[in-house]
Amino acid sequence: MRDPGMDDLLELSEIACQEAMRAGVDSADASASRARELSVEVEKNAIKSSGACMWGSISVRAFSSGGTGWWSASTMSEQGAREAGRRAAELAKAAEADPDFVDLVSPAAYPEVAGLYDEEIAGLSASELAEWITSNIDSAREVAEDVIVAGGAQAASREWALANNLGVRVAQRETNSSVSVHVVIRQDDDVGSFYEWDAARLASDLEPDGIGARAAEEALKYLSSRTMKTACLPVVLGPLASRAFFLGLCAATSAEEVQRDRSFLIGKRGESIASDGLTLTDDPMIPSGLSSAICDGDGFPHRRVGLIDRGVLQTYLHSNYTAKKSGEENTGHSTRGGIAPTNVIPTLGEKTAAEIIGEVDDGIYVTLGRPYPDTASGQVSALVDAGFRIEKGRLTYPLKNTMVAGQMLDLLQNLDAVSSDYRAEPGMVLPTVRIQGMRVASGE
Amino acid sequence: MSEGDPKEQLERVRDEALRRRVEFAETRYVAIRHSGLMLQDGRADRVGAGERAGMGLRVLVDGAWGFASTESSDVGDWLSCVVDAVDMARVSAQRQEERVVLAEAPAVIDEVKASFEIEPTGVPLERKLAAVRGYEEASARIAGGATANLMTGYSDSRQVEVVCNTRGTLVSSESVRTMVWHAITTQDGALRQRGRQYRGRQAGFEVVEETPAEELSVKAAERAASLLSARPAPAGKFPAVFHPSITGLLVHEALGHNAEADHVLSGQSILEGKLGAPIAAECISIVDDATIRGSWGSYPYDSEGVPGQRRVLIENGVLKAFMHSLETAAKMGVKPNGSARADGFANRPIVRMSNTMILPGEMSLEELIGDIDVGLLLGAGQWGYVWCEKGQYTCHAGEGTMIRDGKLAEQVRDVSISGMTLETLSNALAVSRDFEMDMPGMCGKDGQSMSVNGGGPYVKVQEIVVGGQA
Repeated sequence: MRDPGMDDLLELSEIACQEAMRAGVDSADASASRARELSVEVEKNAIKSSGACMWGSISVRAFSSGGTGWWSASTMSEQGAREAGRRAAELAKAAEADPDFVDLVSPAAYPEVAGLYDEEIAGLSASELAEWITSNIDSAREVAEDVIVAGGAQAASREWALANNLGVRVAQRETNSSVSVHVVIRQDDDVGSFYEWDAARLASDLEPDGIGARAAEEALKYLSSRTMKTACLPVVLGPLASRAFFLGLCAATSAEEVQRDRSFLIGKRGESIASDGLTLTDDPMIPSGLSSAICDGDGFPHRRVGLIDRGVLQTYLHSNYTAKKSGEENTGHSTRGGIAPTNVIPTLGEKTAAEIIGEVDDGIYVTLGRPYPDTASGQVSALVDAGFRIEKGRLTYPLKNTMVAGQMLDLLQNLDAVSSDYRAEPGMVLPTVRIQGMRVASGE
Repeated sequence: MSEGDPKEQLERVRDEALRRRVEFAETRYVAIRHSGLMLQDGRADRVGAGERAGMGLRVLVDGAWGFASTESSDVGDWLSCVVDAVDMARVSAQRQEERVVLAEAPAVIDEVKASFEIEPTGVPLERKLAAVRGYEEASARIAGGATANLMTGYSDSRQVEVVCNTRGTLVSSESVRTMVWHAITTQDGALRQRGRQYRGRQAGFEVVEETPAEELSVKAAERAASLLSARPAPAGKFPAVFHPSITGLLVHEALGHNAEADHVLSGQSILEGKLGAPIAAECISIVDDATIRGSWGSYPYDSEGVPGQRRVLIENGVLKAFMHSLETAAKMGVKPNGSARADGFANRPIVRMSNTMILPGEMSLEELIGDIDVGLLLGAGQWGYVWCEKGQYTCHAGEGTMIRDGKLAEQVRDVSISGMTLETLSNALAVSRDFEMDMPGMCGKDGQSMSVNGGGPYVKVQEIVVGGQA
């Protein structure tokens, strides 16, 4: 596949967009992208496979009386771009009218977001990835000789361009790389396991060493896991579990879900939905953030958005379509097909994670889990993938076959602590949080 | 789409790989065309379609795997992948504990066309819209004033996968899949509940014509409407009876992934070392069957060109077999059973399920429920996942009904359940003669998404952890 550079991606996008407009639609946008990814997979302490993949595609959205026609194809040719534009226009004309569609994004200045692309990551070889991941097999083995390591390392570079009929022309180049390790330790019929990772856009932000050792140390802690009695208890969500909790909450702030009457947060803007200890900001412009970008999927310039301020819901997350439909300010969260948060940053509290756990006389700690709410009902019912019993302020034994449940609005009001210390990843601040009175079901 | 005949181009790539003295090479061309529409709140204002194609190449060099793929249609780019794949294999060889060996499998030359009655792409959009609108209208009639949101979707796809390898296999498999779905949100004050229902098969537009609203949107609407007056599910450990949709999730998540031989060999499965041993109650027999005509998860050949087969995994409680690729079959010294599937062209084949089920028994649902003092009948299975190495799984039920004194009592809201695979299978008490396999969906593994189906009878278990709020 030839490498024509970002200008050619923009040109292909313009051609596809113009072709759709020539076919008689009211509005159109088109994006062209290409990517290259190297990956090395590990299975049972050895490299299983290494791969090099190349992608290139064009997608076009065309609008006729508001009805949307969407065509995507794996092509990077001018002919393919023209066909994509025509096909999208045909589909748009076949779609029913949508009076809520106003028009597409207008041209605007884009912010500078540093650290999205790194030549070093783009230039990584599979051999370097192999060294990263195999050093983690070794470091895991130093912790426990009989450890079983799976996982992998990858590095990708992607270029993306978007053009629309109102004159938007935007392109972005980005890189990312990650190392992940899943460690299993077996002792007779007992098993302890843990998953650990690191990811970054820049080589200088990536710390590929020691992930295996950390995973092995954690896996040892999960041997001899037990069930407990079903009870209503304080639940402490560790950094990774709290991330899942907050991202689940953000899904319900999507204006599409709200406008379509599918969110438990309907009518809650401006109201207190959480304890005053919770403040959340969505910041897509954090330098080198994993979810950072100069614009959203519609081409709307990114900006920082306050989501929850001391418990009060400040805004819903909008795309161009939902913002214009409701006459509200666009927050720039389109994924060109949906709405999603970017870098969600909680404001930190006063107590350390250790102090927050130390105050719990009887509760549980969730290390890994997916405590998402159903976006319509707000109901949470989730397995504790990895966690501990807390007794008298200490983590006493690992849990198995244990679940947590509750109503999200109750859980948010009962959130009584956000830690001052946190796990930091590019574009992520991952604190420990505590929720009082959560339903804990288990097998004892 | 390929610029030339993909078979000829694949053979050129294979021959180029052989020229570079690889031990084995497998080239795959995958092309997929899809279309879909969505009707929401009375308007079909989003219509989409597309096509994607490319080539993936897997080579064995020095007993190690290398893979390369491209979305380009240019045969020159395909040939460049040979260099990349060989380079990748040399990287893999840097840290190998044992050389990869592949089981023998007969070379196959075949071309399988999809079977369908009504070509979906030939159906005018108006006809598709009329069908979908009928589902929406039926749902709205059932839910009435409680309706908050209605979404109804239609999608079809046609995929061609051509597998060409250095053992002489050249197989082309075509599949056509059609699906309709409906999702409804109901509302009573601040309380919102959902109902979802899917119907999908490897068939053409006849899937829609054979699916009356009563089997799709009416079911979803009745559930979402009745859940508005349901109580929150209880929390704790309860005897339970699983509806076939939960059985389908259970057998897929709890047992199926653990019976994938790559998980077994990599130390990730709780079934390692248990072949031939009793691991479930005698009433439990589990089969993964890729040969069921028209089922969502079926296929004539896997992505290594091995015919899809019926695999008995558990027979009367005894673990009989695993699902295998050429590589895992060689390692375990058994015949390959056609379970290596790849998601598109940009992924290597890995061991996957097809249509996984618990086989039916003799009892009626009433008999299963009859001796339960307090328990739950769990239905409307939605999703699940498993931590294979621990055998710890969870499934989400879209609805539940309390069982009291041997009879169905009040309805409870949607809830997740969890269990330990071997405990649940051993604690199974009975299975019903009623049987359903109607869970067409996509399964994720190692970043690859694959079409699968699951189901079975009603299954009664001694106890399960219910993650309720009450």
